[in-house]
Amino acid sequence: MKPNFYSILLPVSALLIFGGCATHTRYVETTGPRTIVTTDINIQDFSYAAEDMIKSLLASGSLDKTQIQPAMLAISRIVNNTTQQIDTDLLIKKIRVALNQSGKALTTTTMGIGGIAEDPLAKGIQQEKEFYADKKEPQRMPDFTLSGKIIEKRDRQDDVRQVTYAFQLSLTNNDGLAVWEEEKQITKQGKRGVIGW
Amino acid sequence: MKNITQSILPACLLASTIFVFTSCTTVNTVERATPIGTKQMIADKRVITDDTLKRKVSIVGLNEGMTPGGFLQVQIEVLNQKNSMQNFSYRFEWFDMNGVLINTPTSVWIPRQIEGQETLSITAVAPTTTAKDFRVKFMENVRKD
Repeated sequence: MKPNFYSILLPVSALLIFGGCATHTRYVETTGPRTIVTTDINIQDFSYAAEDMIKSLLASGSLDKTQIQPAMLAISRIVNNTTQQIDTDLLIKKIRVALNQSGKALTTTTMGIGGIAEDPLAKGIQQEKEFYADKKEPQRMPDFTLSGKIIEKRDRQDDVRQVTYAFQLSLTNNDGLAVWEEEKQITKQGKRGVIGW
Repeated sequence: MKNITQSILPACLLASTIFVFTSCTTVNTVERATPIGTKQMIADKRVITDDTLKRKVSIVGLNEGMTPGGFLQVQIEVLNQKNSMQNFSYRFEWFDMNGVLINTPTSVWIPRQIEGQETLSITAVAPTTTAKDFRVKFMENVRKD
């Protein structure tokens, strides 16, 4: 039996259509070298900044100077001064996790800016516990607060475009003194045609 | 024909000279002849799987110390043996007393650039005081520029 034209055309065209639609999506390691790079703040930029900040903070020994160990840390305002909408927890959470692992500091989730707790349920439980325990002594106050800013600076020369992100953090003790400060700058360059701005 | 060759040859020579000298930018360094800070150098074991990278970015030395808080601090000195800028990435891994890997958000592949003949110091601080050992991986840049 000789195959006719249509019996060959149909499977071939189906193969072309569905084969052509196949996406090349794959998993990559978030902290790995194969993530994509754009001029926006990429996920790996938060990792690079956090790595540098933690390294500097642990090496400084600033967290060791409290009477009670581990030190108690509260998160203050982290200002996003970039043109992008970003969740600053992408940076801060990494630092919190690392400090928790280091055993040098624990972060309170019941204190926040304007009295707003990160974890309202935990705050309620804490207050209830204190009420029933008829606690007289004041609640332990944070030894340090962590505040910071993310700044964006764009420059261009001919068809080369450059963007710098500055990650700035300050650790302030309960005397109001910044006992540790750090800045990490990440700069990216691209040609106009590639990045389109 | 001979005339054409004679006129092209100097032009080619000039072009190649310009290319060679403009594509290579090396770094000159100066430091104290007798350093005050004494490095506590440690013997290392190297597993080389990428000879190309080894030729470009070679490890000169490895020294360690302790931070005031009792964290292990490591410094690796690398040298770019080439005359042009090179890209590479590195990653630190930390191990506890039992040789178990410590999972930490600070263990990331970090891209770096090194200029021709430049010496670069890479530092890292252990994520916990229980970290006793480390491993550093080096890799050529896999991203398309």
